[in-house]
Amino acid sequence: MNATIYVPDFLVAAVVRLEPALREKAVAVLEGEPPVVTVAAMNEAAAEAGIEPGMTKLQAAAYPVELRQRSPAQEAAAHAVLLDCAQAFSPRVEDTAADTIVLDIAGLERLFGPPAKLAQDLARRASELGLEANVAVAANPDAAIHAARGFASVTIIPPGKQAERLGSLPVDVLQVAPEILQTLDRWGVRNLRALAALPEVAIVERLGQEGLRLQKLARGAVERPLVPAEPPLEFEETMELEHAVELLEPLAFVLGRLLEQLCARLGARALATNELRLMLDLDAAQIEDSPRDRVIGRSGHRVIDSAVNSMTRSPDAPMTRFIRLPLPMLDSRLFLKLLQLELRAHPPAAPVMKVTLSAEPVQPRPGQGGLFLPATPAPDRLELTLARLAGIVGKQKIGAAEVLDTHRPDAFQMKRFAPSAPQGLKPRRESGDREIGSSEHLKTDHLMTRSPDPAMYSTMALRRFRPPLAATVEVRDGEPVRIAAGEIRGEVASVSGPWRNSGEWWKSTETTPRIDTDDHGSNWARDEWDIAVPGTQGIALYRIYRDLASSAWFVEGTYD
Amino acid sequence: MYVELHSASAFSFLEGASVPEELVDTCVAAEMPAMALLDRDGVYGSPRFHLAAKKAGVKAHIGAEITFLPLRHRDTENVSSFKFQVSRGRLETRNVKRETCCIPLLAESRAGYQNLCRLITRMKMRGPKDAPPEVIAACEDDLREYAAGLICLTGGDDGPLAAALAEGGIDAARREVERLVSIFGRENVYVELQRHFLREEEARNQAAVEIARELRLPIVASNSVRYARAWQREILDAFTAIRHHRTLGTAGRLLARNSERYVKTPREMAHLFADLPEAIAETGQLSSRLEFTLADLGYEFPRYPVPEDETMMSFLRKRTEEGARERYGRADRHLRQRARRQIERELALIEKLDLAGYFLIVWDIVRFCREQGILVQGRGSAANSAVCYSLGITAVDPIQMELLFERFLSEERGEWPDIDLDLPSGEQRERAIQYVYQRYGKLGAAMTANVITYRGRSAAREIGKVLGFDPEMLDRLAKLVGSWEYRDPDETLERQFRDGGFDLTHPRLRKFLELALAVQDLPRHLGQHSGGMVVCQGQLDSVVPLEPATMPGRVVVQWDKEDCADMGIIKVDLLGLGMMAVLEDSIAMIHRDYGEEADLAHLPADDPAVYAALQKADTVGMFQVESRAQMSCLPRLRPKCFYDIVVEVAIIRPGPIVGQMVNPYLKRRQGREPVTYPHPSLEPVLARTLGVPLFQEQLLRMAMIAAGFTGGEAEELRRAFGFKRSELRMRDIEVKLRAGMERNGIAPKAQQQIVNSITSFALYGFPESHAASFALLAYASAWLKCHYLAAFTAALLNNQPMGFYHPSTIVKDAQRHGLKFKPADVARSKRLCTLEDVSSFTFHVSRKETADGAQRETRNVKRDFAVRLGLRYVKGLREEAARALVRERERRPFASIDELARRVPELRKSELAALAEVGALNSVSSFEFQVSSENEPANLKLETRNVKHHRRDALWQVEKAARPPGPLLEEIAEADAASPLPAMSDEERLVADFRGTGLTLGPHPMAYRRREMDALGVRPARELPGLPNGKRVRAAGCVIARQRPGTARGFVFLSLEDETGIANAIITPDLFEKNRLLLVGEQFLLVEGVLQNLDNVVSVKAERVLPLAITGAATRSHDFH
Repeated sequence: MNATIYVPDFLVAAVVRLEPALREKAVAVLEGEPPVVTVAAMNEAAAEAGIEPGMTKLQAAAYPVELRQRSPAQEAAAHAVLLDCAQAFSPRVEDTAADTIVLDIAGLERLFGPPAKLAQDLARRASELGLEANVAVAANPDAAIHAARGFASVTIIPPGKQAERLGSLPVDVLQVAPEILQTLDRWGVRNLRALAALPEVAIVERLGQEGLRLQKLARGAVERPLVPAEPPLEFEETMELEHAVELLEPLAFVLGRLLEQLCARLGARALATNELRLMLDLDAAQIEDSPRDRVIGRSGHRVIDSAVNSMTRSPDAPMTRFIRLPLPMLDSRLFLKLLQLELRAHPPAAPVMKVTLSAEPVQPRPGQGGLFLPATPAPDRLELTLARLAGIVGKQKIGAAEVLDTHRPDAFQMKRFAPSAPQGLKPRRESGDREIGSSEHLKTDHLMTRSPDPAMYSTMALRRFRPPLAATVEVRDGEPVRIAAGEIRGEVASVSGPWRNSGEWWKSTETTPRIDTDDHGSNWARDEWDIAVPGTQGIALYRIYRDLASSAWFVEGTYD
Repeated sequence: MYVELHSASAFSFLEGASVPEELVDTCVAAEMPAMALLDRDGVYGSPRFHLAAKKAGVKAHIGAEITFLPLRHRDTENVSSFKFQVSRGRLETRNVKRETCCIPLLAESRAGYQNLCRLITRMKMRGPKDAPPEVIAACEDDLREYAAGLICLTGGDDGPLAAALAEGGIDAARREVERLVSIFGRENVYVELQRHFLREEEARNQAAVEIARELRLPIVASNSVRYARAWQREILDAFTAIRHHRTLGTAGRLLARNSERYVKTPREMAHLFADLPEAIAETGQLSSRLEFTLADLGYEFPRYPVPEDETMMSFLRKRTEEGARERYGRADRHLRQRARRQIERELALIEKLDLAGYFLIVWDIVRFCREQGILVQGRGSAANSAVCYSLGITAVDPIQMELLFERFLSEERGEWPDIDLDLPSGEQRERAIQYVYQRYGKLGAAMTANVITYRGRSAAREIGKVLGFDPEMLDRLAKLVGSWEYRDPDETLERQFRDGGFDLTHPRLRKFLELALAVQDLPRHLGQHSGGMVVCQGQLDSVVPLEPATMPGRVVVQWDKEDCADMGIIKVDLLGLGMMAVLEDSIAMIHRDYGEEADLAHLPADDPAVYAALQKADTVGMFQVESRAQMSCLPRLRPKCFYDIVVEVAIIRPGPIVGQMVNPYLKRRQGREPVTYPHPSLEPVLARTLGVPLFQEQLLRMAMIAAGFTGGEAEELRRAFGFKRSELRMRDIEVKLRAGMERNGIAPKAQQQIVNSITSFALYGFPESHAASFALLAYASAWLKCHYLAAFTAALLNNQPMGFYHPSTIVKDAQRHGLKFKPADVARSKRLCTLEDVSSFTFHVSRKETADGAQRETRNVKRDFAVRLGLRYVKGLREEAARALVRERERRPFASIDELARRVPELRKSELAALAEVGALNSVSSFEFQVSSENEPANLKLETRNVKHHRRDALWQVEKAARPPGPLLEEIAEADAASPLPAMSDEERLVADFRGTGLTLGPHPMAYRRREMDALGVRPARELPGLPNGKRVRAAGCVIARQRPGTARGFVFLSLEDETGIANAIITPDLFEKNRLLLVGEQFLLVEGVLQNLDNVVSVKAERVLPLAITGAATRSHDFH
């Protein structure tokens, strides 16, 4: 015997579970990014009120319904609850779908009473946990699933009566492929009874084996073993510390032991990892009464820290750090080094009470390289080096600079540095390819157009100040005549410009709220001037500009 | 003095952001005396530029930017390999060197302009439409051939000088300029300087000045204008992104660096070029050199080849006289004399204006059509001409109708006549067009262009795309923009967006709206006008450039129909008219099936059946008189003669409706209001229409009589009516009109009345002649419907989509008129609907007592036809599959579905299923037998019944037949077996009918629910006319049309169809607002309200509307919003 527990309108149920006040109300769940947010699901009351899937948020808001954003986390939690609920009754549980769980209840009478009682208990238990579910008991898993999907509340189908009881259900409880559903609809076959009644051979002739399978399902005659849910492959090691650890070195010792364990377990299953997760439970009392700079450092060395702010934690939640690796590895010493670097960069804000370390299991990568290919840096070494550098300069400031395709001066972004896979020995560049930092790219920064005759037009390079220097500029007749910016100051001896630049006008000038994910800034407009300023060592050439939005002046760089 | 000599408009298609008129406006504001328009590879915008400039008193120089292949490519590679290279490189952008550059050329003289047109024509004809620039680019030889009369500038960042400079430095640039000098001549090359505040440009300018000094060439400043005002750079950027299939976010450096390419004032330019004043001064001198404007186009009238001993005029005279004899030969003497006098008068004028060639060309096309059996009829103002009538070009007798010839042609107007020919849409019209091409040669005839502009939806879609919206959102936005025609005063855009589910406070949506509105009416690309052809004696390419159209074998000119007319180019419109095709098809069917001849030229003039139908508004399917508005007017107007139909056709138009002329006319006609005239002097003009102006001609005459307008001024008035861009012109005319009436001593009240009636025609007004031509078609369609319903209905169904109603309504209407339909059937149907003779089974028996007392029995066999639905109505069945099926069946009938599937492999499974679902396979493999009904005399009534199969049997069989049985069993034919499936219920059949064919031949869905409707107190549509005015009623039905006309102040009109007929409901704006979703979305509605039954016009003024769940079938309505 099998029991199925099914939660109708699961997306809504997942939301309502945490907001019991919504139970009696019409609720619709939205998904998508602004400005397009549409209805993904709704409960019966909302459907009756006129809500349809695909409506926009604004349209849905016109109806008397409660609107909530879809939350995968809540759905996962609801699913876990459902699974827990089922596992409390039976050790053999099939995780059929997010909203459907099947239990093997054979032989459980002595524990839980007859199937009807068990089903009632199951439904009540789910309800107590915040999920209103349908429960059905039948001789085989599929019959139970279909009954739970098709009939509200609790349904018990005595053995041998599946075909009879399921007969009135609509065909779509079988979750048929759309084209077969269309054919059945055309045939006027709308419920399982009609499908069950069709001659078998004729069905095979017309719908193939799939047709036969559906017919058997319709008759409730498919016997299949349950596929019990396996506990997930989890690699996690935890150690509670007798005394809170304040220094990094003893912590490293603990980490080393945990890592060895983890790596051994992974290795035993021929797996590696590409992500490590470190959770540190901190001494809450210490956080509260410790001043901000009372933090641990290596060898008692104090480190001024901003970690408290950067960590994803509330005061009593553990501190969590992730180490993401570019490729699967299994080297406990390397892992330890990486964790140490990470902790040095972001030390915990209080003594550590408990350490939990988990690893994401993945298949290790094959190690064979090409015979004639140049060696690239060993990925693990490279990762270590990059992590070290990031520790010094900050994560945002390391990688490969990528020039953006825009007229905005000096626009670039940092890309994660990842050497491309070896390409073979062919020369990689052909003339005409653009190279970062090449003269071709810098063309716009030249004072003169490039010419094959260097004698005629000299080229000049701009040495940029990053960030540009704020300047005070005196202007006469629209032209700068005097400048003061730190050490650069004096009369402007000669001037050329303005050179006018503006762009990205379609982006708003407001910085918040920022909705556009592809934005690298807002609109901009500026007038540039090239000026000559006499200094102590002769005349110096500068590029200055006025930001037209703020009217502020800056020195952008100097010409060599 | 500064003159902008290098500007491009939006007619550079996505490379410019302002229309020519806007450029001229800013030019005037900047006090510039002249301006030159140089669009990319064309003179598309030049007529509009010329006219706007003429009006503003600015000199309009014409030129073009010509795509040019620089020297290096021609020297090193041949064109084909170059093409390959470029096509591979097209995905690359800026970093790939520009393969082509463009040379700005200005027309100095008429010869120069003609050369420019020929040069562009040669380039454009090199490749297909929208060929990449490298394919069509001019080469040096092209330029040398057409250089005379043209002045060359060295261009801006995409000019030849810049290209050479970037490629090979100043030496290469010097060589390039020298080459231009060798092509165009030393005095015709100007070194161009531009300043947009860009460093590279300034570097280029220095080199250019140096080269100019070395070669002693003049330097000239320009701003290479791409838009009129600085903010329009945003439009240009959006266009650039569209052109490169990018979004603004990814277009990067393809976009402009700044907003400096607007029309700058001479002062700004002088300031910019303060160091080079000679560059500014030179613009004025160059401008004064440019003599050519479009006023000096040099277009010549086409000539028609005539025998040696004839002139075109004598030839025309003979043809006219021949025709007149035929047309008026049997008329009374008085009419004959009037006709002769009028024809003489017209011929004299034609001779004087030297238009004989034009009339002969049109006559020749009409003659060709007649010879080929293609139905043809002239429409529009040509119907005012007795010569056109005699030549067979038009079918309305202008003498009998007393039409105003001057509306067609008058000496003082200085405008050429405009003859439009209506032809059956489809293949027949194409044949006529091809005939013209063949007769006048590729460079002698062309279609006029149709400039496709950004409109609501297209603008929303493309702007949304460049702003990076996803497809789903684009769909929603595009739908939103195409909303109902009428907009409430409080229906702001914010509200529309809110209703559509969008929040306009989102900055990107705001920008979207701003841009989508800004690009409205800007040209997008050049299309082909549906029928306008211009003809010129083998030299059209020197008047306007020609280019290939998308359709193979078609050539279009770069100007649209209006522009051609503005430029005085004669054109003939060969328009496709669905109703012409219906008439033609009906006549063919009457000939083939009934064995009778119907000649449209000789229809009985006053057929009582026709007028009875019109008076009852029983007009579904009839040309021009079938709309809801027409139907509500017909019972009040009660047409009794042909002229009434002319009035009927003209009166339900936005012009008369907005001008509030409909009601006064109808009241006067019914004798409820006295016939008065705004001024006694207008009586002769308005007497025919009871003192209410209804036709364009009357308005012209009113202006001439009341305000003393000359013919030319009246013409200006008429032209201002025609199209949208004339609002300003309308205002000018009004001032003039009032001044004229003041002089003639017309009282202010009458003045206002006259001005109102004239200005309201700005929206749209029919010329009387045009209405008469249409009325003729309306009469013909009504006559056919009344006398040959089967043929007419079949033809109507075969030419869908057309007209006001969905095919399902046409079928139901015909059924109510007693026509029988037979379903689509693979054993009988052709692709199109056909007639089947069902007459042999119907007898009318009458007994008469003869003089000698004996009783004599006569049996009259009445010919009767049913319409067999064609396979084209089976949705999802492709045309080729349908044709293959019919072809195969004609070889041998199909014995089973299995056999059908095997013998017609073109049929896909989905198509077989679609056929089965609508019952088209029911008769295959079933046997037929005849049953005689017991109640009828034996052998009198026989019914053919198909047994064995129902639709589900066929569907059951199809599913098997569509699965290949494998090679072993392939050849074994299998008989169809009965299925275990139940037959479809009525509801299921309805659903299947509507899903599969969009209509049902069975009972109307409402018929199944009549009992429930009766219980609800719902009256059938048929009963409503019998109920008194003011009675509270309930009506219900399937919504077949929803209208919210712009002229109805927010009222919505619904047509509700049930099994007995069509009921009309009027929804007030308030009620609409409260029930918007219901009224827009529901298929079946119940309306409760007060019956308005006045003058036989019946409608329910709704106070309450309720949705009805009648059927799940997807019925359709025509919504006009």
